[in-house]
Amino acid sequence: MNVGTNEGQLVTQLLAGEVWPPLGDRHGFRVDPDGRPFVLPGMGGVTLGVHCGDPATGYAGDHVEPGLSVRHRDPAANYALQYLSCVGNTVVVTSGPAAGAEGFVIGQHAYVLTDMPEDQLRRVTTGDQVTVQAVGQGLALDGHRHVTVKNCSPRLLAALAGGTRDDGTLEVHVAARVPADAIGAGAGMASEYANTDLMGAYAGLGEDLSLGLEGLRIGDVVAMADQDHRFGRGYREGWLSIGVISTGSCQLYGHGPGPSTIMSGPAAAFHLVDDADANIGVLASAGAAA
Amino acid sequence: MSILPRGDDHPIPPEPPAGGKARLVSVNLLALVEQGSVGPDPYRVDADGAPYVPVGDGGVVLGVRLGDGVWEHRGDHAAPGACLVHPDPAAGYALAAQACIGNPVEVRTGAAAGETGVVIGKRGEGGRVIAAFDQAVLCRLRPGDQVAVRSRGQGAADPVPGVTLRNIDPALLARLPAETAGGTLTASVRAVLPSRIVGNGIGRPTPMWDLDLQLTPAIADRHGAAGLRLGDLVAITDLDARFNAGYRRGWLSVGLVGHGGSPQPGHGPGVTVIATGPAAALAATADPGGHRGLTEETALEVAREQR
Repeated sequence: MNVGTNEGQLVTQLLAGEVWPPLGDRHGFRVDPDGRPFVLPGMGGVTLGVHCGDPATGYAGDHVEPGLSVRHRDPAANYALQYLSCVGNTVVVTSGPAAGAEGFVIGQHAYVLTDMPEDQLRRVTTGDQVTVQAVGQGLALDGHRHVTVKNCSPRLLAALAGGTRDDGTLEVHVAARVPADAIGAGAGMASEYANTDLMGAYAGLGEDLSLGLEGLRIGDVVAMADQDHRFGRGYREGWLSIGVISTGSCQLYGHGPGPSTIMSGPAAAFHLVDDADANIGVLASAGAAA
Repeated sequence: MSILPRGDDHPIPPEPPAGGKARLVSVNLLALVEQGSVGPDPYRVDADGAPYVPVGDGGVVLGVRLGDGVWEHRGDHAAPGACLVHPDPAAGYALAAQACIGNPVEVRTGAAAGETGVVIGKRGEGGRVIAAFDQAVLCRLRPGDQVAVRSRGQGAADPVPGVTLRNIDPALLARLPAETAGGTLTASVRAVLPSRIVGNGIGRPTPMWDLDLQLTPAIADRHGAAGLRLGDLVAITDLDARFNAGYRRGWLSVGLVGHGGSPQPGHGPGVTVIATGPAAALAATADPGGHRGLTEETALEVAREQR
C-alpha cells in the first residue's frame, strides 16, 4: 500500500506458542441453522489442504481454521500472544520434524492461525512449538488520522494494493463488501481477539439464509459496513471496518467465515476498489520479513 | 464386534410426545445472589475510546426497576434487581438455560429469607439469571444468599404452528400484550428493529444468552426506540432464534428487555428472546409512545401464583 507509516517506531516481540489440539466436549454435537445436529472438524490442530486463496466455504467443516492453530498454555501469556500477533507476522516452527519451517499469521480466532506451504504443514502436529515474530500493534498511517489500524503487520500493509489518493482518502482493494446484516458471533468482543463471524455464507443451505457471501475465499480482504472496531466490535452507522478472512465454513448458526479486523474508520476516509485479487495470499510469495 | 443391538434388534423408538401434549417440567434450582465483579483493571473502554468504571454490571443493583428507561441510569448492563448465579459452571449453565421469565424465586437464607422474587430475564456468557424483587426486599439481599428458582417454561407448546417459545413461563406470556388470531401470534412492542442492531448474543444459544441491542440514545430515535424501557417487548426482523440466534430473511423474534444500556461497543440493552417464527406466523406492531411491557407488579403476581 502506498502510504507513509510509523513503522520505524514499532516494537517486535518474539512470542512462544504451541500448536493446540482441537477441543470437544462429551456431547459432541452442535446445531445447524435448521436444527440439525452435526459433528465436524474445524478448530484447532493442523488443518491441511486449505490455504489463502482457497474457497472459505464448501467444506464439511465448522469454523475451519487453515493451517496451524496456536495458543500458549499460560492464560495471560496466551492473551499476549492473541492480542499482539498481527496478520502477516512470520511464524517459525521450532520443534518436531518440521523445525525451521516458516509460515505467516493470517488472523486470530482465539487461536493464532498460521498458513504455510502444504508440504511443510504435513509434518507439523499438535504440541509442536512455534515462535511468532509479533509486530504491528501501534501501526499508524501518515495523513489518515481517522483510520485506526490494528492486527496488521507492516509486511501486510506493504503487500496490499492501494494507498493515499490525491483527495486524501485511503484506497483499499476489497474482494467483497459485507453488509451489517451479516455480522454474527464476535460482535461485542475485543477486536484484537478472535474474529467476526459472517452469516449469510451457508453454502448449500436455504436461500433465506444467504447474504451472497458464499464466494468468499480464505485471505480475502473485505469491507464490513457500519462497523467500528476501534475499541471492540460494534455497530456504528456510516463507518467501515476492513478485515481479512481467516476462518472458513461454519454449520453453527450465527457463525461463518470470519475476518480479522485490520482497519476501522469513517466510510468517508476510505476509497474502496472492488478487486477479486484482494487477498493476503500475496504474502506467500512475498518472501520472509517481519 | 459391536455390543450395540443391530437391525431388527434395535427398533426405531416411538415418536416422543408432541410438544403440545407434553406437560412442562418444574425444577427447583439452587442459585446464589451474585456479587458484581471486575478484573484487575478498573476500566473498560467505551465505544468512543474513553475508559470508564463499570457500575451495576451484575450483582444486586438497587433503584433500577422495570419501567425505567434503559439509559436512565449511568450503569453498564444494569439490571432491575439481582443477578443469580451458581458457582459450578455446569450448574450455572443449567440455571441459565432452564430459568424462564415469570418463574418464582424464593429467598432461602439471609435477612430476606422467605421473600419472593421473579425471573425477568437472563444474561449470556457466565450463565446469569436476572430476578426482580420489591425494593424493600432487594435492599435486604446480600451477595451469597441462597435462593431457589422454580424453573418452568422451556419446551412450552407452540402458541400457533411455526412459532417457537423460549425462556418464558406460559403463565406470564398470558399477561403480556400478545394475541393469537388466524394462526398468527401478534405482539405489541415498543419498537421493531433490524437484526443488524443485534450485537453480543448473536450466534449464541438463545436459551442461555440474551441479545444486546447496539443502540445508543443518539441513534435509538431513528429506530423508534428512544423511549425504550426495562420490561418492554421488542421485535427483531430477519432473526431466527430457535437454536442459536442468526440471520434468516423473513423471520421475526420477539423478546423482553431485561437489562439496561452499556457504553461498550457491541453491547447495549439486553433482550431475552421469548418467541421466534416466520413472519407469517409471528407479527409485531410497534407502539413507540404507548407500549406498556412487563411491570414489577404483574411479574411478582404471576410468581406468587406459582408458589
